[in-house]
Amino acid sequence: MSIRSTVPRGPARGDWLAQTRRWMDVDGAHIDVRGLAPPGPLVAIMQLIASVAGAPTVIVHHDRDPLMLYAELAEIGWTAGRIDAPPGEVRLRLERAP
Amino acid sequence: MTLAAGAFLGGAAGRLLPASVPFRYFATAVAYHVLAWLALLAGARDAPRFAGGLGWPLAALHLTTLGVVVMTAIGASLQLLPVATLQPVRAQRWAAALWWLYTPGVAAVALGMGLPAPAVLGAGAVAVVAALLVFAALFARNLWGAAGMPVVIAHGWVAWVSLAVALVTALSLAGTYVGAPALDRRAALALHVAFAAYGFMGMLAVGLSCILVPMFALSEAPAERPALASCVLAAVALVLAGLAAGGVVPMALRTAAIAAGAVAVALHLALMQRALRTGMRRDLGRGFLLVRGAWAMLAASLALALPVTLELPVAGIATLFGIALVPGWLLTFLLGMLQRIVPFLASLHAPRGAGRRPTPSMLTAERPLAIHGYCHAGALTALCVAAILDSALFAGAAAVLGAAGAAAFAVFFVTTLRRMRGATAPESRA
Repeated sequence: MSIRSTVPRGPARGDWLAQTRRWMDVDGAHIDVRGLAPPGPLVAIMQLIASVAGAPTVIVHHDRDPLMLYAELAEIGWTAGRIDAPPGEVRLRLERAP
Repeated sequence: MTLAAGAFLGGAAGRLLPASVPFRYFATAVAYHVLAWLALLAGARDAPRFAGGLGWPLAALHLTTLGVVVMTAIGASLQLLPVATLQPVRAQRWAAALWWLYTPGVAAVALGMGLPAPAVLGAGAVAVVAALLVFAALFARNLWGAAGMPVVIAHGWVAWVSLAVALVTALSLAGTYVGAPALDRRAALALHVAFAAYGFMGMLAVGLSCILVPMFALSEAPAERPALASCVLAAVALVLAGLAAGGVVPMALRTAAIAAGAVAVALHLALMQRALRTGMRRDLGRGFLLVRGAWAMLAASLALALPVTLELPVAGIATLFGIALVPGWLLTFLLGMLQRIVPFLASLHAPRGAGRRPTPSMLTAERPLAIHGYCHAGALTALCVAAILDSALFAGAAAVLGAAGAAAFAVFFVTTLRRMRGATAPESRA
C-alpha cells in the first residue's frame, strides 16, 4: 500500500522545488523534475535532500540522466542508482553512502 | 542496484565529450596564461602607455584574449552548451581537430606581434580565423538545436554575430601590417575592441553565467524577462558602438552605447547577486571571489570608457580602460570559473574504481589557488599603478606577480588532472 502526501512547498519565490511534484511513498520521498530546464532539477533535488533529513531514500523521476547531479551528491555523501522506469523516464534512487 | 554517485554515466555519455577534448583547451589556456604575463614582462617598458601597435604588449594582450579567454570559452562551451541545451555533443572530431589549428595560430599571432614579424602575424591570423570559423559553425549548430534556455541562446546568438564582426575586423587589422587593410584602421580597431571583448567574449561569459552561477550556488535561475532585457540592451549597445565606429555621430552614439551597456550590466549583476543570495551554497570558494572582482571590473570598464569616448585629457586612461576590460573583467572571470569547472568536469571523468568517486573538492588543490588569487590581485593593482604613474617598473612587477600567479594556477590544474587519473581510492586523499 502506498502512502502519498504532498511535501510542503519551499518558501522562496521562484524556488525550483516549488515547481516540482513531490510525494511520499513506502520506498521514500519522490520528486518529479521532468520538464524543468537546467539547473532546475539539480537544485530542486538538492533542496529536497536538504529538507528531508530524516528520509533515507529519495526517488527521482527525470527525463534525462542528470550529468551535473552526481558530483554534487558525492560532495554531501550521497549515492545514486538507476532503477526500472517506463520508457522515456530516467528514475534514480538516491541514498546516503554507507 | 546502487552505485557511487557519478559511477554511471551511460545515458549521459552522449552529452559528455571525451575528457581529452575540453581538457586540451583548458591546459593550453593555462600555459598561454603564463606566456601572456611573460610577454608583458618583455614589453614592460611600453606597457604603461600602450594604446595599440605591434610589440610585446600587443602580444600579451592577444595571448590573454585568444590564448586564455577564447581558448577556455571554446573548451567550456563545446562541453557545457550541449548539457545546458539538452542535446548530444556532435562533431567530436571537429571539436578535437579545431585545437590543432587554433593553438599554433595563436602562437604565431603572438610571436608575429611581439617580434614583430608581420608575415608570421598574417599566417597566424589566417589560422586563428579559420579555426574560429569552425568553432562558429559548431557553436551555431548547438544554438540551433537547443531546447529551452532562451536566455542562454539569446546571449549565444549575440556572441555569434559579434564573433563574425570580430573576425572580419581582425583580418583587416592584421592586413594593415602586411600592407593589405580592408577597412579603415581606426574604425576596424573600434569595432574589434567592442565586438571581440564585449560582444563575443563578454556575451558568452554572461550567457554561460546564467547556467553556471545558479548551478554552483544551487539557486534559482535568473528571471527570464530581465535577463533577456539585459541581453537586448547589450545588443543595442553593440549596434550603437558599431555605428559610432563607422563614423555616425561617434561621440553621441558611443556615449549612448556606454549608457545602454551600463544598464545591461546593472541588470545582469542584479540577477547574479540574487542568484547568489538565494543559493543553498553560501561558501563558493576562492573562484567566486575572483568572479565578484571581475564583475566589479566589468562595471569599471564601462565607467572608464566614458572619459575615453569624451577624449578627456587624463593620462593613461585608455590603458586603464584596457586593463579593466581584459585582465580585469574577462581574464579574472574566466580564471574564477575555470577553478570551479575543472574539478567538476574531472570528477565526472574520473576513472571508475571500486571505491567512491572523487568529489570536486577532493580534486581541488587549495594552496595553489590561494597563491594565484593573491598574485593575480597584486598584478592587476600593479598594472593600474603602472598606467597611472607611467611606470615601467610597476608594469614589470605586475608581470612578475602575474606570471607567479599563473604558475600557481598551472600547479592547481596539473594537480587536479593527476588526482583525477589516480582516483580509484579517493578516500585516501580526503
